[in-house]
Amino acid sequence: MEMKQHNWIPGNFKSVPDIGRSAQNDSVQHGWTPITTTTSVLGVVFDNGVALAADTLTSYGSMACFQNNPRILTVNKNIIVAASGEYSDFQFIRDAVEEKVRTEISLNDGISMKPKALYTWLSRVLYNRRTKMKPLWSTFLVAGIQNDEPFLGQIDKLGTAFVDEQIACGYGAYLALPLLRKGIEEKREKSNSKLTKEEAVDLLKKCMEVLYYRDARSHDKYQIGVVTKDSVEVLDLALKPTWEVAKLVQGYE
Amino acid sequence: MALNYSSIDDDGAFSFRNLERNSKLEKMGLKMPSFRKTGTTIVGVTTRDCVILAADTRATSDTIVMEKNCEKIHYIGKYMHCCGAGTAADTMQVTRMVSANVSLQAFKFPDEMVPVVFAARSLRQYLFKYMGYVSAALILGGIDDNGSHLYSIYPHGSIDKLPYISMGSGSMAAISELESRWNENLTEEEGMKLACDAILAGVFNDLGSGSNVDLCIIKRDGTRMLRNYLTPNKKPATSKYIYPAGLTKVLAKSEIKFQITEETVMEVDA
Amino acid sequence: MDTVIDRGAPKARNFEPYASNGGSIVAISGKDFVIVASDTRLSEGYMIYTRKQSKLFQLSDKSVLGCTGCWCDTLSLTNIIQSQLKSYLHDHNTIMQPGSIAQLLSTLLYSRRFFPYYVYNVLAGLNENGEGCLYSYDPVGHCEKVSYTAGGSSGVLMQPFLDSWLGKRTVDSPVSEEEALNLVKDAFTAAGERDIYTGDEVVYNIIKKDGIKSGVVQLRKD
Repeated sequence: MEMKQHNWIPGNFKSVPDIGRSAQNDSVQHGWTPITTTTSVLGVVFDNGVALAADTLTSYGSMACFQNNPRILTVNKNIIVAASGEYSDFQFIRDAVEEKVRTEISLNDGISMKPKALYTWLSRVLYNRRTKMKPLWSTFLVAGIQNDEPFLGQIDKLGTAFVDEQIACGYGAYLALPLLRKGIEEKREKSNSKLTKEEAVDLLKKCMEVLYYRDARSHDKYQIGVVTKDSVEVLDLALKPTWEVAKLVQGYE
Repeated sequence: MALNYSSIDDDGAFSFRNLERNSKLEKMGLKMPSFRKTGTTIVGVTTRDCVILAADTRATSDTIVMEKNCEKIHYIGKYMHCCGAGTAADTMQVTRMVSANVSLQAFKFPDEMVPVVFAARSLRQYLFKYMGYVSAALILGGIDDNGSHLYSIYPHGSIDKLPYISMGSGSMAAISELESRWNENLTEEEGMKLACDAILAGVFNDLGSGSNVDLCIIKRDGTRMLRNYLTPNKKPATSKYIYPAGLTKVLAKSEIKFQITEETVMEVDA
Repeated sequence: MDTVIDRGAPKARNFEPYASNGGSIVAISGKDFVIVASDTRLSEGYMIYTRKQSKLFQLSDKSVLGCTGCWCDTLSLTNIIQSQLKSYLHDHNTIMQPGSIAQLLSTLLYSRRFFPYYVYNVLAGLNENGEGCLYSYDPVGHCEKVSYTAGGSSGVLMQPFLDSWLGKRTVDSPVSEEEALNLVKDAFTAAGERDIYTGDEVVYNIIKKDGIKSGVVQLRKD
């Protein structure tokens, strides 16, 4: 990865990481297709933090290519980021983010990036690339603690960015998001409060199981990243799926 | 000049003569009219002793809601109902046709229940014949002498017999609910709750589905069709808007008077 | 009969730089106020991204911009406007008047004439005399001063409703704040019934001399 070094100021409007030839005379290349892909990422806000879940599978077309490819990135003490979509684009952004963090550390002023800053930066980078018709074919979930408040946002390959209490991308937006919304809603109705950390993690585990049953590009090994005011942790987990129902399906008529 | 109907090789089936022409015209930029689709959530759940079908009630055409309370659970027979997703006209016609055949079958064999597989096969064979052009995605549920049955039938004519099924644009929202909660020992009440929750997941998370929940419980001792079982989306109150009469200016009037030449009164058996 | 039909064989996915993220805006101006409202549903296809994304952007204490359409363009456009307004404030030590913002917005939109911001804009504000003023835009910068407008995914549903109630108003019978608010709420209620991309909540801003008052109304969630 090469960052444009000249006049680079962190957060500069026009200095976004870029690769390849310039888009100036680029009238031919329009379709970029994701090649090595990852599937859903789920995120949920709980009372004093945020949890993200993503499996560790990277697919090459329909082949389950790399089965131990983590994609929850611990940025610093209060941000985690996860991506779905083209894996190389995630790696490119990961390198850029790590560069940013290194720059920050070397300043040694005790100030570190907050999640909203990274969220906005990512939205500018992705929007910039879509405007050049050279998109980074990935969707990012940014989770962290912003001024003692949990923060969760999503940015997609166009630069469409929004913040919510529960977010899922990829297939998870169809399969898991209803469960996440319902889980949060039920808790709010029952006790007028947010989920606890344990409840949030259990909810994510349930969603990952449903995704494993129904998303053909998903995997039974996954990670859950949890960020709270005091800690960042990424857990490695494996599902214990049950296929009892298969016995009930006999024939087709 | 009158059309020469004899040139159409009419075997009582649909004519596909203009299909190729139309697809070419569409490529040249012709805009074909859109059909009323039931962008839908439909589910079927088997429980210990009954089959439960459920559906939302929204019909859309593109991004506009055409019908807020339409009926998507169609009657097939006394112990058989069918949820339909896809083009509204196709699901209606297909289920009407099969319903007629099922009742003929019931007349033929009055001592036994019409097998559900009879309806399933009729639907499948019909849909397969039309290679997906009759776009009906169906969930058929019913009870016969062999027990309870639940089928999903796809527009191209494939069939699945499963313990729980969802279809339509909200199928993924619904299946997440079914997949995480279904088991083979559900009671009727639990089954109803699960089916409703699955539809509600579709109603609130899928923009193609909405409005109310219809429920149909098929049991050996009878079928209960619970129309608008849940109505979670009532229209908020609005102010009254009364437009004064005469806002449209009448420019010309003309009157046609009928001359009554004959009056006949016919007696009809009450 | 030989019916060869393109069944859509797998093709390389083409990149589509625009998305339609739904949402609607209604705005009505009065003698000493202007009201602008948007729904809060952000969606794409048949999916709801979030139920609480306001599409109103406060530009100053006298002007609010309503933006719907392609959300990524909305974010960029509003960011650019806000930074421009900030530098105007620092250059001139005064906030920009709505009429000037209207021109700025038009110029910004037209600067992308052949790769437009796919955004429908409504700029609401109070002019120098404290009167409500309203500017309605198309995606490439055509600007029109109007007294009421509706736009976005339900624009075509709500505009005739507003026309029938506000179209023939004269200077003698100006629309009152209460009436305007009711019209806005009812327009959204009706649109929420029929447009799948409008729903969840309505947020409205009433801009008056003494400040901006805002509120929320619930819509259908399905």
